[in-house]
Amino acid sequence: MSEGKSFKLFTRPKFDSSSVVVVWNQDVGRLGPKVADYLTGQLDGQELGEISPEGFFSLSGITVEDDIAQFPESKFYRCQNEDFVIFRSDIPRFDWYGFINLVLDIAEKYFKVKHIYTVGGMVLPSAHTTPRTLLSVVNSAEMKRMFGLYDVVHDMDYETREDQRPTFSSYLLWAAKMRDIPGACLWVPVPFYLMTVEDPQACKKVLEFFNRHLELNIDFADIDKEVAEQNKKIAQARSQFPELDGYITKLESNLGLTADEGEKLVKEMDELLRSSH
Amino acid sequence: MGFRLYKEPKLINPVLVACWPGIGNIGIMAVDMLRRMVAAEELGDIESWDFFYPRKVMIRDGELKDLEFPDNKFYFKKTGKKDLLFFIGEEQPTDGRGVYAEGTKAYRMANLVLDVAMRFGCQRVYTSGAAVAPIHHTTRPRVWVVPNSKDLLDEVKGYENTVLMSEVEGRDGQGNITGLNGLLLGVAKKRGLEAICVMGEIPIYIHGFPIPYPKGSKAVLEVLSAALAVKIPMDEINALIQQSDSEIESVYEKLPSEIKEQLDKLKYVVYAKPSEPEPITEEDKKKILQEIDKLFKKDTGRD
Repeated sequence: MSEGKSFKLFTRPKFDSSSVVVVWNQDVGRLGPKVADYLTGQLDGQELGEISPEGFFSLSGITVEDDIAQFPESKFYRCQNEDFVIFRSDIPRFDWYGFINLVLDIAEKYFKVKHIYTVGGMVLPSAHTTPRTLLSVVNSAEMKRMFGLYDVVHDMDYETREDQRPTFSSYLLWAAKMRDIPGACLWVPVPFYLMTVEDPQACKKVLEFFNRHLELNIDFADIDKEVAEQNKKIAQARSQFPELDGYITKLESNLGLTADEGEKLVKEMDELLRSSH
Repeated sequence: MGFRLYKEPKLINPVLVACWPGIGNIGIMAVDMLRRMVAAEELGDIESWDFFYPRKVMIRDGELKDLEFPDNKFYFKKTGKKDLLFFIGEEQPTDGRGVYAEGTKAYRMANLVLDVAMRFGCQRVYTSGAAVAPIHHTTRPRVWVVPNSKDLLDEVKGYENTVLMSEVEGRDGQGNITGLNGLLLGVAKKRGLEAICVMGEIPIYIHGFPIPYPKGSKAVLEVLSAALAVKIPMDEINALIQQSDSEIESVYEKLPSEIKEQLDKLKYVVYAKPSEPEPITEEDKKKILQEIDKLFKKDTGRD
């Protein structure tokens, strides 16, 4: 691996060791990108380098989302804290293994990665009023012991269903294990009706973990404000629209919704909350 | 693989207008006309041989004299305020499978175009193309605008006769822009440049045929000339529209009356939101396109 065609570093920082946090732009409730935005904003994150899209993404044009032209990005950021790196990227369309290995090569060679973390949301048929939990999947006994010290669910059993595929984060975690890089995937369940918008509560849950574990001194005032605003908006909508309130009340009582009800709730929430982002 | 500059003029806050051929040649016709109308001078070109298969060989007296490749030229015009840079590509670089740019070559070409633009201090890029829409050829086409940053939304909303993707029925703000006219927007975003793609509408029943649609180009030209504060005489494009209208009408007249009835419904489509009578169905659309295809094949058969 050599710098040039496939990746470029903007600066040459010296690392003795680092924790690398990986987030994907395509995430439920925009959890990963939101965590990255908050951390880089709070910790004065500076761009460190980037992976070129060639060979990993379709370059036959662009997609438009919410009226804006999109382009794949795969960037490393260094936070004020010298041993903390964020990698924020779109999930590649081609050569997944090559991409993952390039990320790990860079993390090992230039950032002397000690631990690697991924962040992601998982859709759950729960209400937004249910407290968020943090779940971890680790790739080493060392990480398992470490997570035992925190308020994190670390004994999950799961197998990919036949009609699904493992997440890209799991793929990365496995590849890290092959190289003996201790790592963990951090998951937060996101209420299904927030999956197309944002879930600041889920974001806060992840931030709290990193704040404590990496001693980051994060100021939570902004994210607290977002949580309060979202809750207020939903509460107002519930009082205005009894049907919507009925759906959420059912979820709060651990009752399921029909497919139609679920779809309606997602649509209403999307319309209600999207305008605020 | 690089570019050649014939001169190095000092430009003030230049804006790049770049275009490659696409559906109905809507963008390229508008941009090339704009370039000619402002009398832009040649500035340089991209060395084409690494991007394209040659299109012409010149042999004299048994000796190969030259090999010709598609042109990819830069032009400039000093306006006294925001100077103009143009890039016009005769073809999109492909891997041989499609018409639209794709892959590494496309990405490199987009970067080369921006290398030149940034060398002259450019911070704003316009590209142009076509938007296939359920409109009738007798109605005035609108222009779909896609910026590469949220910060540009308010500005583009102010352009006359334009719509955002979110204002287009059934799109919900989502879509694709195929080829380099789209890719350049993304690469500009990556390199920190503002970029806007303006796409003139072309009727859904015309877009698949190898004919230009100057009405769509005029709509683009109007938006670009207003955005760039350049006054453009419209006589030439109006003449082309007149000619194209009569050609389209002659084909239209030959359509079976049931197909024409279906297409006539498009005259009543209030933009994006279908109004009475009901819009044509997918099945109708298929039938219509088959009929028009037949007509064009007949015409081509005569040549």
